Amino acid sequence: MFGLDKLFSQKTPSFNLVSPLDGELIDKSAIPDPTFVEGILGPTAGFNPAVGVIYAPCDGKITQMFRTGHALTITSLFGAEILIHVGINTVDLKGKGFKPLVNEDADVKQGDPLIEFDIPAIKEAGFSLEVPLVICNPDDFKKIEFVAPTQVKAGDPICTLEK
Amino acid sequence: MQEIIYKITDPRGIHARPAGQLVKLIKEYKSTCQLGSATNLVDGKHLLSVMKLSLQQGDSLTLQFSGADEKEAADAVLKFLQENL
Repeated sequence: MFGLDKLFSQKTPSFNLVSPLDGELIDKSAIPDPTFVEGILGPTAGFNPAVGVIYAPCDGKITQMFRTGHALTITSLFGAEILIHVGINTVDLKGKGFKPLVNEDADVKQGDPLIEFDIPAIKEAGFSLEVPLVICNPDDFKKIEFVAPTQVKAGDPICTLEK
Repeated sequence: MQEIIYKITDPRGIHARPAGQLVKLIKEYKSTCQLGSATNLVDGKHLLSVMKLSLQQGDSLTLQFSGADEKEAADAVLKFLQENL
């Protein structure tokens, strides 16, 4: 049967996301915001940033750059819809301490810098700097698995998704 | 069809957290929901689209529910909006 062997040898399509920053990956339970702890927006991991730059966790398109520059959404080429939110309640900073580096609808490559943020200034203003990363369309995947809490560098694999 | 028009009073507008809570609630119902400004309605069950509306304080949010449980969905969502936004 021509082609049948090929059909059966096909693996489940699987995709990786990489760390969007240098720092530490933490369990979502360590994020001081119940929205993220309870995963209301979707499967969630948290990060403690060591350096104030967010990089693209995958190839994709910037779906939204929040007007205050404290968060963005990106749709990956393989269809994951991802929210990266820098700090907790940082919407209240109204953009202070954040510098968006890309525009909405921009096509980006994994590792492109997306947001610069001023860690000392944001801390000084009294805000917590955990960075939740959320997969907002879990229904489109069979499996979503984050790696265990660990030190990370931008570009290290942090999540496997299977369709 | 059930329609709600609600004026946002929260000074932060519909940012990530309330958008997530709103979409989660809408997903609990079978009815479809289109929501947004009068001229730009999006799928109320699609979180990224709802966040991207980035509705601000003073903006009017229109929601249209269609389906078997549209009345229940509209009632529950209106209650959520009044309590949170």
